[in-house]
Amino acid sequence: MSRAELRAVGLVRRYGGLTAVDHVDMSAPPGLITGLIGPNGAGKSTLFSLLTGVEQPDEGQVLLGDRDITKLRPDKRSRLGLVQTFQVPSLFTSMTVRENLLVGVENRRRDYAGGLFGSGIRRNDRHEQVVDDMLASLGLNDLAGAVAGSLPTGALRLVECARALCTHPDVLLLDEPASGLDATETERFSQLLRRIADAGVAIVLVDHDVELVFTVCDQVYAMVGGKVVAHGDPATVRSNPTVQSVYLAQGSMT
Amino acid sequence: MASVDLAIAGLAIGAIAALSGIGLLVTYRTNGVLNLAQGGIAALVAYLYREMAVVWGLPVWLSAVLSLAVLSPGIGVALERFVFRPLARRRASAAESLVASLGVMVLCLGICAGIWGLGAQTDTPAVFPDKSVSFGSHHIGVDTISTLVLIVIACVALGLLQNRTKFGRQMRAVVDDRQLAELSSIPADRVAAAGWAFGTTLAGFTGVLLAPRISLSPYSLSLVVLETFAVVVAARLVSLPIAVLAGLAIGILQSELTQFTVHGSLADLYRTLGSSLFVVVLLVLLLAIPNLRELGDAGSAGSFSSRGGGEEGGTVAERSKDLVWRIAGVVMLLAPMIFAPSDLRHAFMVPALALIFLSIVIVTGYSGQVSLGVAGYAGLGAVFALKLASTGLIGIPRLPGLLAILVGAILVAPIGLITGYPAIRRRGLTLALVTFAVGAVVDRFVFEQSSLTGNLYVNPLHLGGWELGDKAFYVVELIGLGLGLLAVRNLHRGRLGRALLAVRDHNGGAAAVGVDVRNLKLLAFTVSSVVAGLGGALLAYSTSSFSSDTFQPIQSLLWFTAVVVFGADSAVGAIVGAAFIVAIDVMAPSGSSTLAVGILALVLGWLPGGLASAVRSLIRFVAEQLADQFIEPGVSTRWPVPAQAGAAYIEATVPAAALGAVAPGGAAAGSGVAAADRVAADRGLALTPFGRTLLGVIGAASAGPGPADADVVTGSNRPLDIRVDRPTAVGAGGYSSRNHVERGPR
Repeated sequence: MSRAELRAVGLVRRYGGLTAVDHVDMSAPPGLITGLIGPNGAGKSTLFSLLTGVEQPDEGQVLLGDRDITKLRPDKRSRLGLVQTFQVPSLFTSMTVRENLLVGVENRRRDYAGGLFGSGIRRNDRHEQVVDDMLASLGLNDLAGAVAGSLPTGALRLVECARALCTHPDVLLLDEPASGLDATETERFSQLLRRIADAGVAIVLVDHDVELVFTVCDQVYAMVGGKVVAHGDPATVRSNPTVQSVYLAQGSMT
Repeated sequence: MASVDLAIAGLAIGAIAALSGIGLLVTYRTNGVLNLAQGGIAALVAYLYREMAVVWGLPVWLSAVLSLAVLSPGIGVALERFVFRPLARRRASAAESLVASLGVMVLCLGICAGIWGLGAQTDTPAVFPDKSVSFGSHHIGVDTISTLVLIVIACVALGLLQNRTKFGRQMRAVVDDRQLAELSSIPADRVAAAGWAFGTTLAGFTGVLLAPRISLSPYSLSLVVLETFAVVVAARLVSLPIAVLAGLAIGILQSELTQFTVHGSLADLYRTLGSSLFVVVLLVLLLAIPNLRELGDAGSAGSFSSRGGGEEGGTVAERSKDLVWRIAGVVMLLAPMIFAPSDLRHAFMVPALALIFLSIVIVTGYSGQVSLGVAGYAGLGAVFALKLASTGLIGIPRLPGLLAILVGAILVAPIGLITGYPAIRRRGLTLALVTFAVGAVVDRFVFEQSSLTGNLYVNPLHLGGWELGDKAFYVVELIGLGLGLLAVRNLHRGRLGRALLAVRDHNGGAAAVGVDVRNLKLLAFTVSSVVAGLGGALLAYSTSSFSSDTFQPIQSLLWFTAVVVFGADSAVGAIVGAAFIVAIDVMAPSGSSTLAVGILALVLGWLPGGLASAVRSLIRFVAEQLADQFIEPGVSTRWPVPAQAGAAYIEATVPAAALGAVAPGGAAAGSGVAAADRVAADRGLALTPFGRTLLGVIGAASAGPGPADADVVTGSNRPLDIRVDRPTAVGAGGYSSRNHVERGPR
């Protein structure tokens, strides 16, 4: 099944006099990992919010496949296949890991009112199967029964990612997925992302860790002052003079 | 000419409202607490003032000085010291502050009702002489002038204080960030206490000035004060001048409305508008302003429920197996069946009240929203049911009583839906105020309209030609309660239950996986209103009458507080709470239950999770103590914590892997202990020897690869609880981040 591509066309977002996102075009094709970097205040978080639907752009469009999703709320976008994870993992802390994943699987439909009269209370074997497969494929079987609120960050990130995958997304938006992970965990996470992309999912990654972005991504957008200043494969972006100067000035990229 | 006189009359009320508004604003600006207790404090001070002036026979001026210059600020200082400072210290959420202020409110009402009864007192002397000053052909009362002068003094003093003095600078620093201000050695507590004292003093003034104008009764006086929230909302909780202007403007406008008369069917409506403009303005403002940024989203999803819910066991499946608690509820409900007839009648109110409490559990405990308007929905259910049973309603013919109760409750659904739609788009305190305003408006425009509710009478219920006796009616009530419990159960299970829990735990996370957050909240809100309607209808039948007092807006606050006290997400807690309140009201003088709930609400600070949770953890503690006799120490991974020990201990859940992250490489067992020591020391805590040993054992296990690796997950990811001695109330939970010491599940 061919999956949809996420595109942003001429996105603008202003806060008062400040233009946080200034006519940004970008695209995240299926099967590729797209990275988004930039120094603090470059507008990458704002751009991310515009893509997820948490904020609305002043101008421009967000397209998923052929569909204009600019005006849609995050949950609607999610049901269409655009799923995000959060900088601070957003697990449902009073549920088990397995229940967290189930929520991911079973919310494409919205007929909740039926639940009042008892529908949806029986186990749905198909849903359970999806969850079982996901747990097995990410090696989370042993955690299935653990209450999510009790897990350490590394596991939380993994479970959140698994939950997002359970929705069978076309596009996965990851906000600083490596923050709070140690080197080993980050390495494992990168491998996981590659596996997901190989399955045909478009991944968009925002991270402070420039090295991670350059290592794991297929294409990178570099933002400065709300604008995209460089775009291309990691090597190209890395050698871009503007990017160089910005990061050399900050001393965080060698 | 008449307009000018009316304006002067309105000015009097407007000035009092403005005064109350200033008090609310100052408390809010210095403490970040929207003081819902303002009304209760006003009533309490007014009663004390009257007691001194009338009962003890002190001169009016002395009573006024004592009550306003000594008692009122004293109340404020005491509240700050014993209720709100501990909350601020542990960076409690706005939701907890809200509950605390509700607790204070209920406590004040309880004290008033307990000592002076719920009846109205009409002999409160006016503070200022009952004279007036003439200008031209108009007269303006001395009290009005004095109030206005007071406002000017308060505003000028506050303005000078804030901009010209060191104290003012400190005040602004504390408002910006209390913790940061304390680090800069600013006496934040003193600033906060001053803010409280000022706020409660103005609350006292409000009460003392209002009491002679309206008859003094705990509920009505505090309601009038609560209505002045319109003023602070108009000021968006920021601007003092706007608050004053809004107060005066609404007062004058309300008064001016009375010079016109509207005839025909709208006459009643218009008259009511004239007498309740503050409430209407409050509602309109709240609906017009999409979100009071100042009120923030604090207190949104989860803040209530997580204290009662997800703590132990946590999962949906586990919590519904709360057997002991259930049996207690069943016994309590069935016991009245063997009571003597008169006692059985007293018990009538239990299932009805339990249903109303259940409706709060649904909307607050399950979907994590504050609702302070439940009495409105309950009352509507009663009105609809009684109308349907006697004359029919909006095209629906007259129905047999039992059917009317059911249909009446269902008719509340569209109203829940309509009022829920704007409500659910708001969060936290804004939502609380919206729901309160809805309840108050419904009360004024429906319950208190004699044309609508004046001729409501309760006919005996019949089933198949037989008149239902007391026992049969009680069974009917139990069936109704069963329906409510069924709804609650279905909201708690399966796909719907998980989705709701997801919304409660993390709004954004739920939306991110496609859960339709808005519709789910609306569903919960609507179901809740129907359950409340059913409870209200049964309540009217169980008291054999409809009285607008039963469903007055203040009741919503009382009921909400009671539900939080008994565990906001415990269905059985709702039943136990209802039984508790009815039992106290039957056995003790009226108002005692209010007092009890108020006290319990304040004690709640030490019993997070409500009574239900406290009892549960006590039972678990005893059980585990017994179990420990048979298990070798160190084998069990969960360590019991005494229910009462919450104040003295915290149980820090330190996932071993997180410790690994703190001590890079996480190699040796010793470094894990050292890291934990560091983390603990950071927070002013110390590891117990026991915790040290335990860490040493587990530290070795965490030396392996990271937690992402499933193979070591069994060993390293299980939370391990260490007990940490907690010398002071220093906010251990406040700084919690996932990869450091957390306040673990208790």
